[in-house]
Parts: sequence; C-alpha cells; structure tokens
Amino acid sequence: MWQVIKDIFSFRDYHRFERIGLLIFIVIILIFPLIVEQAYSRIVMIKFLLFALFGIGWNLIGGYGGQVDLGQAKNVGFGAYATALMMVWWNTPFWITVPIGMIIAAFESFGVAYPMFRLKGHYFAIATLCVALVWKELFIFWDWTGGARGVEIPVKATADFVHMQFPSNIYYHYFVFFLFITQLLFMNWFRKSKLGYQLQAVRDNEEAAASLGINVTWTKVKTYTITGGLGGVGGSFLAVYYLYIDPDLVMPLDLSILIAMTVLVGGAGSMWGPIIGAAILIPLDMYLGAWLALIGGRYGIDFMVYSLIIMIIAAREPKGIWGIIERVKGRG
Amino acid sequence: MLLEVKNLVKEFGGVVANADISFNLSEGEMVGLIGPNGAGKTTLFNCIAGYYKPTSGKVLFNGKEITGWPAHQTARAGIGRTFQIMKVTAGMTVLENVMVGAFCRADDRHLAKVEAAAILGFMGLDSLKTYHLNELPVASQKKVGLAMALATQPELLMLDEVASGLNPKETEEMVDLLKKIHRKKKITLFLIEHVMEVVMPISQRVIVLDGGEKIAEGLPKDIVKNERVIRAYLGDKYAKGI
Repeated sequence: MWQVIKDIFSFRDYHRFERIGLLIFIVIILIFPLIVEQAYSRIVMIKFLLFALFGIGWNLIGGYGGQVDLGQAKNVGFGAYATALMMVWWNTPFWITVPIGMIIAAFESFGVAYPMFRLKGHYFAIATLCVALVWKELFIFWDWTGGARGVEIPVKATADFVHMQFPSNIYYHYFVFFLFITQLLFMNWFRKSKLGYQLQAVRDNEEAAASLGINVTWTKVKTYTITGGLGGVGGSFLAVYYLYIDPDLVMPLDLSILIAMTVLVGGAGSMWGPIIGAAILIPLDMYLGAWLALIGGRYGIDFMVYSLIIMIIAAREPKGIWGIIERVKGRG
Repeated sequence: MLLEVKNLVKEFGGVVANADISFNLSEGEMVGLIGPNGAGKTTLFNCIAGYYKPTSGKVLFNGKEITGWPAHQTARAGIGRTFQIMKVTAGMTVLENVMVGAFCRADDRHLAKVEAAAILGFMGLDSLKTYHLNELPVASQKKVGLAMALATQPELLMLDEVASGLNPKETEEMVDLLKKIHRKKKITLFLIEHVMEVVMPISQRVIVLDGGEKIAEGLPKDIVKNERVIRAYLGDKYAKGI
C-alpha cells in the first residue's frame, strides 16, 4: 500500500530538467487565472487542460500501448451522458456520476475490446472509429438520450460544489486542473505497474512479449478498458461545463481524432506528449481560427495550417515534438 | 523426460515444414539442432513454444501435454526462448526489458527489479543497464535477449541462432556464457545453430533436420561423420568421398 502511494507521487525517475519543468508548468496553471482576466484566454486554457486530460487517458493505449485508437470520443460521450442524464433524472451529485460514467465507459470498452484486438494496425484503428460512430448514431436515434436535441442540465442559482456549477470560469479552471492532476498521477503509477511494463513490451514486439509469458491480447484489452474509463472523466466535466450536451458536441469523429492527434503530435508514450500536443493544437485551433475568420472570413484556412503541421510531424518525427526535444537535449 | 516431441507434423498449405519429428530432451541436457537453411528448425521451435499450432503430433513438457498452447502459456510453464532476429526498439532500457521477463514470475516491481539486476550481473551486463537496445552492438543485443529469457526462470531454454552475426571472439564469449548458464542455473539448453564452433563443443547430443525431416541424431563426433548429414550440407559429391 505504502509502495503504491509512493509510486503515484514519485517522479524521481524522470530527468531533473523534466521534474523542474513539471513544477513550473503546475505553478503557471495555478496562477494563470489570477493574472489573466480576459475571458477568451481563460476558455482556451480550460480547453487546453481538458485536452491534456483526454490525452493522458488516451496515451495509455495509444502511446504506451502503441495501438492507434480513433474512437475515444465514445467514452467521452458515455461520461458526459451519464453525468447529464443522472442529473436530469435524479439530481445526482456530480462526484457520484463520475465513477458511474467511468464504469459504463470501461464496461463498454471491455465488451468491444476482444473482437477489435483480433485486428492490428490500421484495421484496428478503423474498427475503433466505426464503433465510436455507431454509438454516436445510437445516441442520436434513441429517445431516452434526448436524441439529436441533446440533454440540458438544469441550472442552479448559486455556485454548487455538489453539482459543480459555477458562476465564473475561474472555478472550472481549477476544477479541470484537479481532474488533470489526478489522471497525471494515475498515469505515473500505471507506467510503473506490471501492466505498464508488459504493455510497453507488447508495443515494442508482440512475439518477444509472448515469449516472456505475457498474454498479448489480454494486456491490450485491460489497457483499452482503463483508457475507456479515463475518457469518461473528461466527458463528465464537459457535461457540467457546457450544461448542455448532444451527440455532435461530445462524441463526434473530430473529437476522437483530435484526442489522438494531441498525443501523437506531442509525443506518444511520454508524460509530456499530451501536454505539449494540447498546448500547440488547442491554442492554434482557437486563436488561428478566430483570427483568420476576423480578417476577412477566411474560414477553413486554419484547418489547412493545422493539418499541415500534423502531416509534417507525422512524416518527419514519429516520436512527436517530445521526440525532438529528447534528441536535442540528449539522454542524460 | 523434460520435453517429448512425438510425431510432430507442421504443414503450411501444401508445404510440409516438419514431417513426423520425434525426439526427447532430458533434464540438464544441452542439445543442438542443426540443418541447412529451410530445414524446418525454426518452425519446430515455433511449434514447441506455441507460435504455431502443429498440424498433428504431440508435445509434452514435464509429462504434461502442451500441444498447441499459446506462447505466453508455454513461457509460464517454463519454456524460454530467444529469437534469431531481435526487433530492436528504443522503447525501454536494458534493465526494463529484463524486468519484463522477471514479471513472468513476480508481481511486485521491486522484486522484478532485483531479479533483473541479479541476472544482468550474472551475465556480466551490469554496465549496459541504462542503455536502450538500439544503442547496443549485435553481440550485446543477443546477450540481452538471453537475459530476458532467463529472467522468466525457464526450465528449458530454446536458443535460435544465438551466435549468428557475431565475430569469432564474441562467439567464444557466447559459448562460455552458455556453458555458465547450463552449469550454474541448471537449465536445459536446446539450440539451433549454424556456427559449428558453437554447436559442437557445447552439445551433448545433436539432432539434424533436412527438408523438414529428422535425418540423424547422436553424439557430435558421430554426426560429423554421418553420411546423410554430409550430403544434406554439402551435396552428394562430398558424401561419396568418405
């Protein structure tokens, strides 16, 4: 037990420069809303933290596991719908809906994992994408989910820590940061766990992993299940942040791809990958898009720039931006 | 008997890669498996270790039938193996790779780490701990592969061309290392090898495959004089010369 706690909080095996970087990063996030008052910047920051959160969850299967999953949005959707529907139906406190959303997402992931992991590489990616799209269509089709009209969560009159509704963005900033930190700590434990090691061995070479007594499929299934559960957390946050969700908002294809891209651009299989990826893609998306639209309605150019960056990184640097940084600093 | 292979057949479509092969390995033996390219040596390894399902025949390990078991189960049962060509990745360090092997028997990370370090020490690889596999020369990579397999604490260790790509000095080191593993760890060794300098001094017994069939089995000194073996390796012309 003591060992687990130590594993969760210990970042000692990281390079000193990374630990200092992490500390500086945390301090910046903590003081950010105190310095920056502009609403739009705060929204960008919240979105950045949310995608860093998504990225950390996805990084388990996509980075440490090397399985490109293009369906994480379905898990976000499960979390979001669990929270929204339970609040509408029974006025359930947020912190109860989160684990339930996680369990639903994990359960579904476990259910579809076995058939999907019979596939490898691109075929696996396509399968995940299809499963996510099927779920989205089902949520549009069903009545009890509110269909395409979505679900509206009743607004509370005052700041409410039970249902996590707040009058100001500043609360949501610290709220999503708290969720981010919990997943960061979970990831820190996971990568040092037996499953974490075995998963990396599977990623590196499946045949060799099997020769070391690792059940390759089972390892992937377990990780995919955990990744599903982690995806639900961000979804629950989205529900109380927007107070309105529909399938196009919380489970679209774009979201699945953006989550994967965040990690792949930043550097899959490292602590920094999701953070760097989100720090580049989210502001780029939100500022460049807004700016180009402002200077003359040039819609769509931001997508071109965006895609170009992703293509260059995918072609030139498979280990992402963190890969470049590691190479420059050299292994210490 | 540690390993019994009975009438093992493996076909790929119409191609017979292993035809009716039977042999036994006793505990503590060191046995070589030789044969020209395409003789079916690696296929035989893969059938025993669970990478292929045999078309027919039986494999018994410690008296228990393990025919068709998947690779991770044979590994847990006590059959370790190395690969001819190790896919080299930058993912993990040498120590971490060996730890993954140790996780086969240990659940706790610290226990796995202690065991992995002990094995690296035993193999004389202490200084390589923090390197990544792709930073190492072939000889060291092969030794790390061996260390990973050893970390699973096998009773039977199957080595697929552990000396290929090594220079004479490295080959000599490898032979010493294998002898040390056999002597100190009491592990049965079963090795595919092309390099005769490795097979002949180590093996107590040699099994020869050609064209998917077992053509000879016996002591190394007899095998080198066996007519069928010479014919398989060098052709009819040389066989007649004896």
